[in-house]
Amino acid sequence: MKIMPCPLNGPRNISEFVHGGEVRDMPNPTTCSDKEWAEYVFYSDNQAGVVTEWWLHAASGYWFIAERHTVTDEIIRTYDPSEIFKARVEFSAESTAQEVSA
Amino acid sequence: MSAITPESFSKRSFVYRQLSDAEFSEVAGAAQAADMKNGHSQALKAGILDLSVLPRTGFRGLNAASHLQAADLPVPAKPNQASVTDNGELVLRLSQKEFWVLGAVADLGAGVDAVNQRGLPEKDCYALYNQDSHAWLTLTGAHLPAIMAKVCGVDLRAEAFPVGSIAQTPAARINVVVVHHQINEIPCFSMLCDSAAAEYLWVSLLDAMAEFGGEVIGSNALS
Repeated sequence: MKIMPCPLNGPRNISEFVHGGEVRDMPNPTTCSDKEWAEYVFYSDNQAGVVTEWWLHAASGYWFIAERHTVTDEIIRTYDPSEIFKARVEFSAESTAQEVSA
Repeated sequence: MSAITPESFSKRSFVYRQLSDAEFSEVAGAAQAADMKNGHSQALKAGILDLSVLPRTGFRGLNAASHLQAADLPVPAKPNQASVTDNGELVLRLSQKEFWVLGAVADLGAGVDAVNQRGLPEKDCYALYNQDSHAWLTLTGAHLPAIMAKVCGVDLRAEAFPVGSIAQTPAARINVVVVHHQINEIPCFSMLCDSAAAEYLWVSLLDAMAEFGGEVIGSNALS
């Protein structure tokens, strides 16, 4: 069984984890175009090489980030999302309403 | 014939149908299996105990640790560690910012009720309602790692999983929180699982512990 080093729970069988897609910068939903938003939501780069991905340890409900080589499937590093995401992302009610009416 | 039955109460354990032979006592407005007529020696050998009706609570957020400290509860230093209060409550740290408090068998969970009476901090501390979402099953006795090795891939032997450790992992293919602790010096693995899967896990654990002479015990067997 392949082993994934979870930052919270330590090395565990890969069957305990769920892949969550690439880590990408979110465009500002109030100013970006529909095309940019669709690309962010639906498309992935599917790059050959080292990628940064979301992974979930299902048993503890813990999301973390892994750097993985998509050709060799080697897991290079895993870490807590707080290394990248320092603050909570807030969506204001006003901007949501503008988007809906536009 | 027990005077108190689970059906006497609207609040019931998730595995009460599996406990038809038990003598019950009232705990937190429900029936808890108190006696299975096999006593303390069975708890030391291999027992499984249902503590699902015993009060428990949880808190999550940046201020969750300070909320516990204000309630005079010990805060484990790292995630996946558990601390025990003098009274017997278990404080579980499941991540940097998530804590569960499990009631003590000795006081029927009164300590947890007292924690729940305290107001939450104004911000960054949220209550977790794990009383109804999770069942609480406890394995006791001398063969805990060997029993768990049959249903769980994580090394739960004492060298890798000493008293005070927590493992969040699948066991018998459902997600559980396993806590290694002691009650009156009896080795215990407390397991918290999705309440909807409680009967399945109960039967699976009984099956796994059969070769070690495992039986259902009541809470009186711990004293």
